[in-house]
Amino acid sequence: MDNIELQKIWKTLDNELHQKSKEELSLLLESKAKQTLNKYLLFIGISILASIGLLVFLVITSMNRQEDFIYIINNATLGFITIISLISGLFAWNKFRNTRFNQSLKDWLNERINMLSKWLTGKFKTLYFVTIPVFYVLIVLSIHVYFENKSFVDVFKSEESIIGLIVAAPIGLFVSFFVVRKMRKKQLQNLNFLKDLQGRLNRLNQD
Amino acid sequence: MKSKKEEFLEILSNYQGILYKVSLVYFKSTSDREDNVQEIIYQLWKSFPTLRNKKSIGSWIYAVSINTSLSRVKKKSHVEYRERVPEFAGSTDMLDELTANESLQVLIKAIYKLDELDKSIMLLYLEEKSYTEIAEIMGITKSNVGVRINRAKESLKKTLKI
Repeated sequence: MDNIELQKIWKTLDNELHQKSKEELSLLLESKAKQTLNKYLLFIGISILASIGLLVFLVITSMNRQEDFIYIINNATLGFITIISLISGLFAWNKFRNTRFNQSLKDWLNERINMLSKWLTGKFKTLYFVTIPVFYVLIVLSIHVYFENKSFVDVFKSEESIIGLIVAAPIGLFVSFFVVRKMRKKQLQNLNFLKDLQGRLNRLNQD
Repeated sequence: MKSKKEEFLEILSNYQGILYKVSLVYFKSTSDREDNVQEIIYQLWKSFPTLRNKKSIGSWIYAVSINTSLSRVKKKSHVEYRERVPEFAGSTDMLDELTANESLQVLIKAIYKLDELDKSIMLLYLEEKSYTEIAEIMGITKSNVGVRINRAKESLKKTLKI
C-alpha cells in the first residue's frame, strides 16, 4: 500500500458521505444559532437578574439603616464588587465566545491560550481566590446584621452572632472554594490540553 | 442578487465533505460527529463576513473545522485522553455504519491512533492539499510539513503493518 494508494482509499470516502441539501444545512445552522443565542441569553439573563436582585437588596437595606455608617460602607463595597464582577465577567465571556476560528491552528492556539491564561494563571487569578471569599463574607455580614435588627458594631458585641459567624463563614468559604476549584479544574484541563498542543506544534517548527 | 446566507449555503453545500471528514478523524461516535459538524457550520457562518479571498475557501473551511474540532476534543491532557480510551474502543461498529469498505475502515482506525496534530496533517495530506496550503492552515513552515507528513506516514504504515 503506497502513498498514492492511501490517498485513493481515502477518496472512496467521498462516495460514502451523505451530502445534505441546502435546506438541511440551513436548518442545522438555524437550530445551532438559536441554541447558542438561548444559552447566551440565559447566562446573561441570570447574571443580570441575580446582580440586580442583590443591588436592590443592598439599596433597600442601606436606606433602612442610614444611621449605620459601617453597614452602608459594607453594602457599598458589596455593590461595587457586584457591578465590577458583572461587567468584567460578561466582557470576558463575550470575548472568549467570539474567538476567531478562521486563522491558522498556531494563531488560534496562541489567542485561546492567552485568553485562558489571563484568567486562570495570570493577573485575574486573584479574582478567584480573593474576590469570591471577600464577596461571601460581606454578603453574610450584610444579611446577618440586617436581620439581627442591630447596628453593625452591636452585632459584633453579641456572643451569639460571633459564634454564628465563626461557624457559618468557614463552611460557606469552604463551599465557595470547592465550587470555584471545581470550575477552575475543568478550565485548567482545557488550558493544559491547548498548551500541550501548542508545545507540540512549536517543537514541530523547531525540528 | 444572492443574499449573504444563500451565498454561504451555496459554498457550504459544495464543501460540506470537509466538515464530515475532519469530524470523522477526531470523533468516533456518530452523535459527536454530528454535533461537531453543526458547531463547525455555526463557526463558519460567524466568520463568513471576514472571508475576503474567495480563492482560498477550502483553506478557510479546513482551518475553522480543525480549530473547532480541537476545541471540542475531550478537554483533557493529551496523555490522559489517550491512556483512558482503549484502542479503537467501540469504533468498529461505528465505522460499519459509515462504510463497508474494509480498506477505508482500516485506514480510519490507523488515523485514530495518531495524535491530534498528526491527524490534521494526515487528513490534509490525504485530501491532496499542497505543502503551502497545509503550512498555512497549521501555521508551520513548509519544510516542516514535509518532515511531519513523512513521520505521520511512517506511523500510519506501522499501524497498517505495510
